Amino acid sequence: MVSWRRSRTRATPGVGDLVVVVVLVVIAVPVMAVLVRAVRPDGVWSTESITRILGSPRTWRLISVTIAQAVASCVATLVAGVPIAWVLARFRFRGRSALRTLATVPFVLPTVVIGAAFASLLGPRGLVDVRGTWWAIIAAHLCFNLAVVIRTVGASLSALDPDQESAARLLGASPLAAARRVVLPAVLPAIVAAGIVVFLFCLTSFGVIVILGGGAVSTIEVEIWTRATRQFDISGAGVLCVVQLVAVLATLAVHARITRGASHGRRVVARRRARPPAGIGEWSAVASAVVAVLVISGLPIAALVERSLRVGDTLGLANWRNLGSVTQGTALRVDPAEAVVNSLVSASIAATAAIVVGVLGARVAARRPGGRADRVLLLPIGVSATTIGLGLLLAVGRPPVDLRRSMWIVPVAQALVALPLVVRSVLPAMRSLPTSLDDAGSMLGVGPTGRFWRIELPAIRPAVMAGAGLAFVACIGEFGATVFLARADRPTVPVAIERLMSRPGGAGFGQAMALSCILVLVCAVVLVLVDRRSAVDRGLDLSF
Amino acid sequence: MTSPRTVRVAVSILVAAAAVAVGCTSDDSGSSDASSGGSSAGDVVVLVTYDSFALPEDAAAIFEERTGAQIQVVASGDSGTMLTKALLSAGAPEGDVIFGIDNTLATRAISEDLLEPFSPAAIDTVPEKYLLEGDAGDRLVPIDTGDVCLNLDQRWFTGQGLALPTTLEQLTDPAYQDLTVLGSPVTSSPGLAFLIGTVARYGEDGWQDYWQRLEDNGVRVRPSWDDAYYSDYTVSGGDRPIVLSYASSPPVELVFAEGAFSEPPSTVMLDSCVAQVEYAGVLAGAEHPELAQELVEFMLSPEWQAALPLSNYVFPVVDVTLPPEFDKWAQRAEDPLTVDPATIEAGRDRWIEQWREQME
Repeated sequence: MVSWRRSRTRATPGVGDLVVVVVLVVIAVPVMAVLVRAVRPDGVWSTESITRILGSPRTWRLISVTIAQAVASCVATLVAGVPIAWVLARFRFRGRSALRTLATVPFVLPTVVIGAAFASLLGPRGLVDVRGTWWAIIAAHLCFNLAVVIRTVGASLSALDPDQESAARLLGASPLAAARRVVLPAVLPAIVAAGIVVFLFCLTSFGVIVILGGGAVSTIEVEIWTRATRQFDISGAGVLCVVQLVAVLATLAVHARITRGASHGRRVVARRRARPPAGIGEWSAVASAVVAVLVISGLPIAALVERSLRVGDTLGLANWRNLGSVTQGTALRVDPAEAVVNSLVSASIAATAAIVVGVLGARVAARRPGGRADRVLLLPIGVSATTIGLGLLLAVGRPPVDLRRSMWIVPVAQALVALPLVVRSVLPAMRSLPTSLDDAGSMLGVGPTGRFWRIELPAIRPAVMAGAGLAFVACIGEFGATVFLARADRPTVPVAIERLMSRPGGAGFGQAMALSCILVLVCAVVLVLVDRRSAVDRGLDLSF
Repeated sequence: MTSPRTVRVAVSILVAAAAVAVGCTSDDSGSSDASSGGSSAGDVVVLVTYDSFALPEDAAAIFEERTGAQIQVVASGDSGTMLTKALLSAGAPEGDVIFGIDNTLATRAISEDLLEPFSPAAIDTVPEKYLLEGDAGDRLVPIDTGDVCLNLDQRWFTGQGLALPTTLEQLTDPAYQDLTVLGSPVTSSPGLAFLIGTVARYGEDGWQDYWQRLEDNGVRVRPSWDDAYYSDYTVSGGDRPIVLSYASSPPVELVFAEGAFSEPPSTVMLDSCVAQVEYAGVLAGAEHPELAQELVEFMLSPEWQAALPLSNYVFPVVDVTLPPEFDKWAQRAEDPLTVDPATIEAGRDRWIEQWREQME
């Protein structure tokens, strides 16, 4: 194993390492730009912003609210998700895999689309109007994160040895007691791990809150954006970026500690076989799970489609037809179809860049597990999207190189956000490549480049495909960074949706719904292509 | 494992999606010339402004005829958002001219080399009281004025048998509990003007106490004027009969009603009015600096000025004839609340911070 990796090191000198260094620079530049503005607001060193922000009770209220909503969303997702995961892991029934796919769809949708879906469901003209309250946001977080719990806890449940539970029952334990004392302890590490991932996503949630919060509720991530783009308080936003950085890194550290502890625990012995449900109790459990997934994941998407087709009090295609033109009375001054083109072009460029960089970088990381390359490539997870967006804007907007007008700046931000997804997909596959393959190629006289193209790459292609799918979906839905960088004449679809929804009134809302449907379609196509490779599972694996 | 066929299917679906999208846009290139016309440099001048700005079409046509250049509008949010976005792209602007910076934010616009100095020839026709001093005066040209005032839904109050409130102080009276909706001073320009108005009325030491009493009496704050006026105001079907809007809103209601009623449903609470002036300027680093200057100059022409009341519901800064609805129904405060620019500059960011601390 070790000698193989050494030989690989000699085989590709430099390229991978250079890529890692480039990633480090590209991520360090925006972070540094934000940090510098925090402590040097107007070209003079000053702690004024730090004391102003950290000395304000409102900041601490915001921090507690941010954590509280993340905890609430996390608990809601676990309460709904664990039983569903249990049903899906334990019983075999018609439509099980379709149900699992449906529960997974929201996770690959752009957060802005989730926000839009819930705005149509829980906004004015929806079922109930709870826009601008935390209820709507927690519901949207539940929908988005359900897949995290179902996948993570489900995997742990199916790995559980069914004999243990049977033994407990034989020894006289009630079903509930058996579940509590045998099943629960076994899957608890997975539940905790899933909970932390959900917590992290909700901690940095942005698109959902911007769309659903209506300015009435805020979190640290949203406050960074409000301060930077509404109040023109760049240094204050910078201080909050640091607060956010600390919170995210602390969460990741807790996650690393817990999952490391868990992996020392029990190993998978037997795969639990799902069986058909028997009896009223089990059938009603299945029925409840089906209804729950339909309501949590299906209803919002259905509402989205319905609203995109609603024109006044009737159904029609006007919202879709209007996508080709600039509509008066909406806040968008280019036609929405142009935004679709912008998004597809930008996401294609960004995803390609993320794959090239991710694969080359992952080769370096694979030969030195736990090394610096590993951590550098995953750094973007630790930096929130708004920090990347604001930081890039500040960093590239200084003479002599003013890149703010460049069309490349949005893809750079998107690629940065997508990079960890590619690495997480590709790295495990690379690590599990048998040494003998490479050695055999070498003995047959294939050069290092040939070995990469003809042996290594074909062997890890499923993982690369999964990473590519995830990266593309992440890029096309990217909002937190793009919203800072996309210029008014070149919006991406998520930015266009936010603009359209920022003004009350029918025309813009309908178009936003139609645009959201287009993104759902694009993401669904990508998901269908990569789901069999269980891309989402790879995307969820935060532990390295 | 992934077959090459799956890859091909994936790629072709995405390419097809892109092609359809491109098809949609090119289909419609006729009507969206204004937005895609950037390629033919020189015959476009880009106006950066706020969302609710409406281009006075006839006046714009005259400009386009005279100069051969199309006016393309780039809107980015409320006026505060627009200005911040412009400041973040100072030096690499998204347009040539910026319009809609008001007197509450004027000094912020001077902070980042956002604007080129420019003084139009017609500046002499603008009354002294609208002009700014120093750096700001060299760069910002007054274009229109309109007081920010609370509007009252007369029919609602009559229906409830409740007297119309006439003073700011009455808004804190329990009789008027849960009736008021305002725009946020953080994101909306009338909101900021109103906040500054309360500072003018109650002083540095008293305004926070006033807002506390407002909050205790159930005031609602919305992120933008649009939200407050179109979603919450009773005249638009909402549940609040007192809304922060403009002195010009009542005559505008009449114009929009097109004869549905003979007098406006709303009236203005004169005691609450805060003076607001909106300025335009030439953006530094503009791609079309000469056209930019021509456009700012044209904004002071009688054609543009006379079109402002019915397109943007504001008053011209030069002496032109007002539309009859404005002449008859627009009420203007004799002595609106004002704070001088230097005091605003020194206090604004702190007041916003304190307001957020207290109200959010």
